[in-house]
Amino acid sequence: MKKIMFIVIALVMITAVVLTGCNTTTPAVEADAPADDAGDAADDATADDATAEEAEMSNLDKSLALNIDSVVGSDGQPLLLDLEKKDVPERPADPDALPEEDPLHWYDMEYAGWGAMDKENIPASPADGSIGKKVIVIINGDHPYLTAYSNGATIAAEAYGMDIQIMSPNWDLNVQNQQVDQAINAKPDMIILIPLDAKAAVTQFRRINDAGVPCIASNMLPEAEAMKYVIGWAGPDDWGQFRMLADVLAEEIGGKGGVAYVQHAPGGSPYFARCWGPLSQFAANYPDIVTLDKQAPGFEADKTKQLVSDWITKFGDELTAIVAADDSAQAIGIIEALKEAGREDVKVIAAGNSKIGMDYIASGELLAISYQSAEADGATPIKMAADWFNGLDVDPVYYLPKHVITQADVADFLPAQW
Amino acid sequence: MNKKIEKQGSVSQNIAHEKQSGKILDITSRFGVYGILIVLIIAGIFINSNFFSLNNFKNVIQAGAFLGILCAGMAFITYSGHFADMSAPITMALSGIVTISCISFGIVPALLIGIGAGVLVGVINGIVIGKFKANPIIWTLAMNFVVSGIIRWVYSNKQIYPDVESGGSIAGEMFTNISRTYLWGIPISVFIMIGLLLIGQFVLSKTRYGKQLKIIGSNIDTAKLTGINVSRNILIAYIIASFAAALAGIFVTSFGKVGAYYNGEGYDFRAVTAIVIGGMTLSGGRGNMIGVLGGVLTIGILSNLMTFIGIGTFEQQIVTGAIFILIVWINSNSLRKLGRDDA
Repeated sequence: MKKIMFIVIALVMITAVVLTGCNTTTPAVEADAPADDAGDAADDATADDATAEEAEMSNLDKSLALNIDSVVGSDGQPLLLDLEKKDVPERPADPDALPEEDPLHWYDMEYAGWGAMDKENIPASPADGSIGKKVIVIINGDHPYLTAYSNGATIAAEAYGMDIQIMSPNWDLNVQNQQVDQAINAKPDMIILIPLDAKAAVTQFRRINDAGVPCIASNMLPEAEAMKYVIGWAGPDDWGQFRMLADVLAEEIGGKGGVAYVQHAPGGSPYFARCWGPLSQFAANYPDIVTLDKQAPGFEADKTKQLVSDWITKFGDELTAIVAADDSAQAIGIIEALKEAGREDVKVIAAGNSKIGMDYIASGELLAISYQSAEADGATPIKMAADWFNGLDVDPVYYLPKHVITQADVADFLPAQW
Repeated sequence: MNKKIEKQGSVSQNIAHEKQSGKILDITSRFGVYGILIVLIIAGIFINSNFFSLNNFKNVIQAGAFLGILCAGMAFITYSGHFADMSAPITMALSGIVTISCISFGIVPALLIGIGAGVLVGVINGIVIGKFKANPIIWTLAMNFVVSGIIRWVYSNKQIYPDVESGGSIAGEMFTNISRTYLWGIPISVFIMIGLLLIGQFVLSKTRYGKQLKIIGSNIDTAKLTGINVSRNILIAYIIASFAAALAGIFVTSFGKVGAYYNGEGYDFRAVTAIVIGGMTLSGGRGNMIGVLGGVLTIGILSNLMTFIGIGTFEQQIVTGAIFILIVWINSNSLRKLGRDDA
């Protein structure tokens, strides 16, 4: 009787969650709409196969004939953006010996993969086309940004006629290591990995490389040594984005004032890029901008609010601007604390572009955010993989295009992807 | 004869000494946290001239309000000797995301359904732990894991927004305003926290249920022998805890303007720390809500002070964790010395 009662209650609870969750299917369907477009593109390719002429085409010809330019993300922006390269300065003899405020101190982190490091044991491209290839994507955890990332990867894979499987370790490095082994055992044509930890990535990519499976690193930058085991890396240019944001902020505050930094979660590349990127930019170009404090309160709005309230009390009018690593929860905490203290004069920039961040840009509460399309972030390594399967040249590093979103152009980037 | 009298005198002296020690311990465990708080405030005055201001204290109380609401419920579980509710984070996330999902039905029905969903987690916890004697930490951790999986599965791992779900109606705005509503310049979450703690204090000290819970927390076998319905009382404790967690979840979600499975993460450890610092022993049966409020304020002031000094986030975590360990050790050690506890 007791057991039956327990089962009934559990079922009622699950039913309640399922029923209430039904309301949320609409955005999911909307987000899937571009996937349908991509599906159409793949269907078109299949339909084309029916014609006698194309039936004689090789898989490579069919793959090269695919037109993916028209594929768009859920925000209406092209899914596959024009990728960027950046000028690479000469590596200092010992970057670590330079002060942290010197941009070149971070050389090995910012230009990981661009160095003259020789690649090891990279398999030769089969050059037989992307259609029908099996790709396993191992992301680093569950997060709405990564859901949009996975969505973009899936749309792109379908457009290229590839089979895609996505795995998530939910922020657990041990689980990600197991998934790497699982993926190797599944013998896919390619593994794409977002490293959870920059150092651990070296071992992960070496294992994949030793197994003879081609692999691409994505999103988070691994340590430079890992880059010799991968075909290449694709992702946002966090350092470049934040230098651009820093310039916008410096101009707004007249090149002087006190800046405090709300940092990203420690361990990953954004923790460094989104703090030391702007900080070193200020140090190099705006000597009258001083650093007041740097803290990583996590991604909780209320904890960030307490931190910023403390800063307001501690620094008073010295606090001129805040640089945030996240434009959603952290931005909410910052804006609410500033509002409550009547300090709307403090300028805020953040990494974006979530719905919350863009709403704040539209209302003028945030000065600027970086444009970082999560779907394009997911689609780009798929494009790299497709190019490699098609025997095309693939660069070792691809950056998503950089752009700063302000009140003037935020409308062009709506609706938000996550 | 004289020796016998001497021995009796020595025994009565020991008893008197033990009674006195017990009294000191009781006072220390009940209100000692306020001593720590005063020391921290005095230190703050010397560290920064802006520290001792009404605005700063207002910020600390506001920042602790969501945690205080959660603690007001979780303290019942600690008091009952069941340590802590590790499913509190997911209960918070569940109530928030369900409320946003139902926002199109209107703000009141949505809130009721959201809180109801959170309370259901407490009902399940209460039945399994109270009736089937599951280990409270393992079970609630498992619940946290399972419900988190269900939310991600149902919502396809996406976050949802009150303004989008409400279709731009007033209900969405009302929801986000819950955590932004002020009375005399103070957020209503502060009044709710104080209200819940006062009700909690009344229930624990003045009602039959509170007294029974104290016996359960002190010695569950004795409670059974005296005819107390242990299972029912534990179930009620979990229902109260989940109600408070659901309420805290509504505030956190409203403040963050987003419903997501990760809302509430990290609150479990902070709540246990506040409760323990506030003088409630993990072995149960001791402590009160006034102390819990002190624990919440101490955590807030400590974090505030460390930011003023310029201590980094990681070092702050180390300090908070170390204080937690120290308090648990002092508590357990003192009680063991008095032969009053095996914790």
